[in-house]
Order: sequence, then C-alpha cells, then structure tokens
Amino acid sequence: MSIDWQSLMVPLIVPVVKIAVLLFALMTAAAYLVLLERWIAAWVQDRLGPNRVGIPLTKIKMFGLGQPLADGLKFIFKEEYTPAHVDKALYILAPVVILSAALAIFAVIPFGDVLPIEVPGVEGPIAMVEAPGVDVGMIYVFAMSSIAVYGVILGGWASNNKYSFLGGLRSSAQLIAYEIPLGLGILGVVLAAGSLRLEEIINGQAASGQWNAFSQPLGLMVFLIASFAEAARLPFDLPECEQELIGGYHTEYAGMKLLLFLIAEFLHMVVAAFLIVILFFGGWHFWGMEVGPDVTVTWPMAIVRIAVLLAKVMAVIVFFMLVRWSWPRFRFDQLMNLAWKVMLPLGIVNLIAVACVVEFAHVRELEGGVASPWIAVGVGWVVALVAWFLAGRYAPLHTDNRPRLEVLRAPDFEPETALARQREAALR
Amino acid sequence: MNEALPSVAVATVLLALGLWMMLPRGTTTWRGVGALTTLAALCIFAWLSSHLDPSEEAWLGDAVFFTLAGVTVIAAVCTVTFSNPGYSAIWFGLSLLGTAGLFLFQGAQFLGVATIVVYAGAILVTFLFVLMLAQPKGESAYDRLSWGAGLAALSGAVVVGILVLSILGIFQNPDVASRPRAPFELPELKTEILADQHVAHLGAQLFSKYLVAVEVAGTLLLVALVGAVAIAERIKKPDRGGQSHG
Repeated sequence: MSIDWQSLMVPLIVPVVKIAVLLFALMTAAAYLVLLERWIAAWVQDRLGPNRVGIPLTKIKMFGLGQPLADGLKFIFKEEYTPAHVDKALYILAPVVILSAALAIFAVIPFGDVLPIEVPGVEGPIAMVEAPGVDVGMIYVFAMSSIAVYGVILGGWASNNKYSFLGGLRSSAQLIAYEIPLGLGILGVVLAAGSLRLEEIINGQAASGQWNAFSQPLGLMVFLIASFAEAARLPFDLPECEQELIGGYHTEYAGMKLLLFLIAEFLHMVVAAFLIVILFFGGWHFWGMEVGPDVTVTWPMAIVRIAVLLAKVMAVIVFFMLVRWSWPRFRFDQLMNLAWKVMLPLGIVNLIAVACVVEFAHVRELEGGVASPWIAVGVGWVVALVAWFLAGRYAPLHTDNRPRLEVLRAPDFEPETALARQREAALR
Repeated sequence: MNEALPSVAVATVLLALGLWMMLPRGTTTWRGVGALTTLAALCIFAWLSSHLDPSEEAWLGDAVFFTLAGVTVIAAVCTVTFSNPGYSAIWFGLSLLGTAGLFLFQGAQFLGVATIVVYAGAILVTFLFVLMLAQPKGESAYDRLSWGAGLAALSGAVVVGILVLSILGIFQNPDVASRPRAPFELPELKTEILADQHVAHLGAQLFSKYLVAVEVAGTLLLVALVGAVAIAERIKKPDRGGQSHG
C-alpha cells in the first residue's frame, strides 16, 4: 500500500493557498466594508463619521482606518453571554452554519481570470477560483445560499424569544419567496451563455463584448432587486429591522457569535455584488482588452483583469450602501406582493424574451447566417420597457399606503361592520 | 445458501432491536444500549458491503465514501429517533448534505447540488417553517412519542436487510464465491453523462430519452399547485373592508 505522497501533495497545495488567501482577504474586506458603510452613511447624512482611530498608542489618525481593528477587538473582549432560556446546541450551531455557508459560496466565484504561474504537477495557468471546473457553479451558489437560511431560522428558533422568532419566520418566508425571481434572473443569463459555469458566462460576454446588462435589462432589474432581498439589505431588511424586532433573529446574541452573524450578512452582500458583476457586467472584461481563447495571459494582463473585476464589485457594493440610505423599508405584505405579483411575472417575461432571441440566433446559425448581436439588445430593451410600463400600470399597488378610497366610499361601508367582518373571517 | 445470509439476518434483527430501543417511547432508559446495538448492526452492514471492492489502492476513496455514508446513515437514524421535531429536521438536513456529498463523490455534480437546493433549500426549510408555526408555545407530549415503535423499527430494518441482500446480488446469484468481484459495470449511458459538459449531457438525456417522464412529473406538480390554490381560495373569503392590497 504505497502512496505517492509527492504527487498527492502538490495539487493539494494550490487550493490550500487559494483558500488561505481568500479567507484572509474576505475577513479583512468585511471589516473594512463596515468602515466604508459607516463613512458612506455619514456622508449621506452630512456627518463626519468615524475618523479618529488610527495607529494605537500614537496620535496618528489616518482618517479612521484603525476603526475596524478597534471594532474587532471590542467584539472579541465582549462578554459572551448565553441566555438561560435558549436551546443551547442550536443556539451555538446557528452562527456557525450561516458563516460557513456564506464562505462556502466563494468556492466557485472567480476573482479574476487566471494567474500565469507554473506549478509542477498542475496543468496550465492557475485559475483564480478555489474550485475551477465545477460544471454546476451557478446552482452551487444557489444551494449554499439556501443553506444560509438555516442559520437565520435556527438562530430565531433557538433563541426562544418572540422577536427572534418573528425575525426567523419573516426571513424564511422572504428568502424562499425571492429565490424564485433570483433564479429567473439567473436563468436568462444561463440560457444566453449556454453554461452554468461562472467562468464560461464571463468568457461569453468578453467574447462578444456585449455585457448581459445591455441585452437583458429586465433580467438585471429582477436579479438586482431579488439579490437585495436575499442579502436582507435595507429596503428588505425585515428579518432584523431594529424599530420592530430589536435585532430580529440575532437579538439574543452577543460577542463573537453576533460578529459571525454580521460578517455573514456582509459576505452575502459581497456575493451578491460579485454575482451581479459576473452575470450582468462582464466580470473582468472591459472594452479594449485583449480577449479570446488563444490569448496567453501575461502578468500585467492578469493584474488588470483582477483590478477591473474588483473595481466593478466595489462600485456595486457602494451602490448597495447608497441604496440603504435612500429607500425606506417595505412593509411585509408589500414585500410579498412585490415578489409574487411583480418580480415573478417580470422574470418570466425576461426568460421568454431571452429564449426567443437565443432560439432565433440558433435558427439563423442553422441557415448559415449570423444573427446580429444588436437584435438581442433591441429586443431586451423593448421587452424591458413594455413590461416595466405594464407592471407599473397594472400591478397591484404594493407600495401604496393611502387608504383605499373606493372601499371607504362604498355605499354600504361602515368601519365597524368592516372590522366585524374581518374578525368573523379570522375566526372562520 | 451462502455465508452472507446469516450475517444479514443477525444485523437486521440487531438493527430492529436497536432502533426500537432508541425510538422515543416515553422512556430514555435503553437509548444508550439501543445506540450501540444500532451501531453494531450498521457496522455489520458496512463490513458486508465493503466486500464489494476489496482493492487496496482505493483506500482513500473508500475512506471518503465510508465517512460520507456514515454521516448520512447516522444522521438518518438520529432523524427518526430524536423526540424534538426541530432537532429531527436538523439531522435530516445533515443526512441530505451527506447524500449530496455521496452524489458529488460519484461525479454526479448536478444531482448532488440539486439535492441541496430542492430538499435542504426548499422542502426542509418549509418543514422548519411549519414546525416553528405549529409549536410556538413548546412541544406537546403526544407529538414527542413514537406511535407503533416496534412495527416501525422492524419494517425499517427489514427493508434495509432486503436492500443489502439485493446489493450483494444474492437474489440473482446465491453463490457469493463465484460472484464477480466488481458487480457494478458502468453502463455506456452513465459514463456519457459523467463526462465533461456534465449538465448539458444530463439535460439532453432528460429532454430526449426521458421526455415523457419529465412531462408527467411536471404535470403532476402543476396539478398539486392548482389543488393547493383551490384549497387556499376556498378558505379565504373575499373581504371588502380588509387590509388586502391585492
């Protein structure tokens, strides 16, 4: 039973190094994104924001860049208080589940194209993905984000607190509801690219030079809104809204366990930003770059690609943070109406339009001709505008808070009888 | 007869006994003994099926397989033997993750990930949702007991025993000694699906060879959906003065 340890170890080193670099980068990024969010919040609200903490034990301030370190230390030294009334095993399990699921998503997310390093025992240049060649990358992202729901539900349930419980209930309903428009938005892109691999989706957009955002604006809108809801960012942060539920599902958590929840939430936002960039904004592609399967990637090219991708992701994250201070929170029935009565039909319309365009191109190809890529753009925008207009005109008034006048002015309407009828209906 | 049959029979009896002792029957006295008995039965089954592939070079793959399989089976046993339904659901989730791992280990990426998306991501979350709604004030005693524990344990164990027997190929070829060492020859079809572009091949198979099955399954789901809507509509009466914005 002799094992060739050397041939076993060398291919192992590459992923291990990748995972280590990625973990370090993600944790640091999460800490500094919190600082960025506080800066943006301060800017929007015309405040100064955190600008004091610099290098410890000196007077150097460095615009407050030491703040994440201080925040982290504070979290670590906080008392780790476990209330007596919680279900202890599940209470501890919940933050672990949510963080590990959030980190596991990054296994298939490309952080650039490839690095031209020669490693003995590994073929070709190193792909900037932890798990290259996963044929079901997109579904894997979906699967892992659906595992993350467990952290929320378990946290809410194990805490044995009504606020936590309501937060958990809301979040499970919300995440299940918005998974459908999210999936429909993804399906359009997958149909156009013909592959579930994130790398292939980027390569397709780079080859044609036409990002999916141009040819599928409706899909982009649906996916963007659904990913806000999946990441529970502000217009959709019902699971943990402070004014109603104290802290929602993590009300009973403190110290490092709370920190795990908060990091996981930030990572969900980062994942959403990466997916938006990869699926709709061409990933590492920018016009004027050399692309194609036969182009050998050199070091400068690799670095430019990583920089372009990260710059785009950063822009989307800043957009997420600006939206947080621009939109008020939905009510829960508005949130559900938006998911099922607006986003779901719009997603289906986009999917059908993309399917028609793809099929048209396919038929043209069979006939020997080539379908102009501008057809996809034209169809996409016409469909998006018409569908958006129709949704705005005929969809139920899910954002309307005014009393319904036609109900109040109905001849037989009396508030007391209406209440009684409602109560009767509830009893039945 | 052959030498595998008595061991399968013993393991089946042990499994039934162990499961019966572990099931929530209102007493926890025999749970530890039951756990040990069940574990012994599972070990016998594992030992029997490990004879399928005795090649020593594959020990690393075997280790991964048996770890995943162990997680799956033990989590499944815990699913049925825990009295707290919430814990049962979590164990079920772990069992599903183990199953998905087994699929991935065999190269069936799509099946593995789809198991997580469909079962863990949608169905089990709905279970938890219902559990949370059903018992916000704690658990009732009658929900925490297993009804007909003896019959349930026995039928489960017998099914496992028969499955192991059929996997060992005893029904086709009672003589174990003359059985070929590798009973599972990979058919052409399977290798084609497992090749590169795995999902594309799978989709092509589903929508050509298995089209009727896919369509029937889809129709069945549609019928269930329409039925659910019909039931929900009957309960909900139209109220004009209500809060509904729909």
